[in-house]
Amino acid sequence: MADLRLVLVTPEKTLFDRPVASIKVPLFDGSAGFYPGRAPLVGRLGMGELRLVSPSGETESYFIDGGFVQVKGPVVSVLTNASVPCADISRKAAAGKLEEVRSERAGSDDDYKGVARRLEKARKMLALAAKE
Amino acid sequence: MANRRLLVKRLKAVRNIRKITRTMELIATSRFKKALDRATEAAEYTRKISEIVGDLGQANLKFSHPLLERRVEEKRSVLLVLTANRGLCGGYNASVLRQTVAHLRMLREKGVDVSLEVSGKRGIKFLNFQKIAMAQSYTHFEDKTSFADVEVLASRYVDDYVAGRIDRLDVAYTRFVSSSKQFAVVEPILPISSLAGMDKQPSSGLEYEFLPSAEQILAEIVPAAFRAKLFKCFLDSIVSEQIARMVAMKGATENADEMAGSLKQQYNRARQAGITSELAEIIGGAAALG
Repeated sequence: MADLRLVLVTPEKTLFDRPVASIKVPLFDGSAGFYPGRAPLVGRLGMGELRLVSPSGETESYFIDGGFVQVKGPVVSVLTNASVPCADISRKAAAGKLEEVRSERAGSDDDYKGVARRLEKARKMLALAAKE
Repeated sequence: MANRRLLVKRLKAVRNIRKITRTMELIATSRFKKALDRATEAAEYTRKISEIVGDLGQANLKFSHPLLERRVEEKRSVLLVLTANRGLCGGYNASVLRQTVAHLRMLREKGVDVSLEVSGKRGIKFLNFQKIAMAQSYTHFEDKTSFADVEVLASRYVDDYVAGRIDRLDVAYTRFVSSSKQFAVVEPILPISSLAGMDKQPSSGLEYEFLPSAEQILAEIVPAAFRAKLFKCFLDSIVSEQIARMVAMKGATENADEMAGSLKQQYNRARQAGITSELAEIIGGAAALG
């Protein structure tokens, strides 16, 4: 079987660079999965869950906040602003955050964009929260 | 002898100062290493971004984006000044501020309306003293400045630039070249003069699939590149600050060593002079009696 490597990079550091069996990333309009041998691609990411299956068959999930994905040969590079393992997101904190964002009111069109983005982020995080 | 006691006191004070400066030097060294690691790790993101920009090049794309366009008339600009929250780091803050003041004067002479944004207590203090008005001041950018903090600033600049509220953005900071070379610069970062990798020929020769399209990816990647660049300015100035402090404290420690040495010598001489004169008195007294 051909190899597949996932390189997860944030502006602060490279979180990991390791072999995986398959990857699922949230694209701007849905999600996309990559298996070894995927044709080259550059895509825009949305917010949501990055799921990877390690060569031993375990599944790991991360919440990622937008960015880009590049598939080049066996290497899948994911560039994202922020990434948190779903196992580290607590449901309580995520629900609290959602409440907080819900109470925000946008005063102008510019504000609205920001609030809508934060709302989407809080919702997605709550949906992915795996810790009590 | 009063003089001798004074010397002992001074010697003690100098040794205490030496202990402090030596500790500060060690702290700065360890912080410098951490900061440098962070800066090196952050470089990977920039490298990947320019790789994708290079990939976009093969899509026969015209690189156009609001952030890349230079305005014909520059009326309003923002000057972001990055200084340290703490002093005792040699000429670090002073050289950034010198550049800032010169640049400010140059822009104001041209009739540009400059709004000044300053990070770091040292810079704020200096500009207050000079009675130069600041539009914004920040003190929360410390050693462990996170991307999220910088992103807030960066997004605001992007929005302002795109909406035409500002026509240019300069950053005054200390650029880190190597651990023995850093210098203060004022760098225009908006409009973006060129994207790294923009004129590079695609080396991979791969046929990429672009989702949703090369244009839309470009529209997203230009702000991302800008954010990464602004973040790099912050990281550079943090690394440079620690180096400057390290060097300054090393100098101070050496100086204290030298001073302690000469004080000790003076003290010994004074002590010896005391003994000699006491002896002379005893001998003189004995000679007078005999």
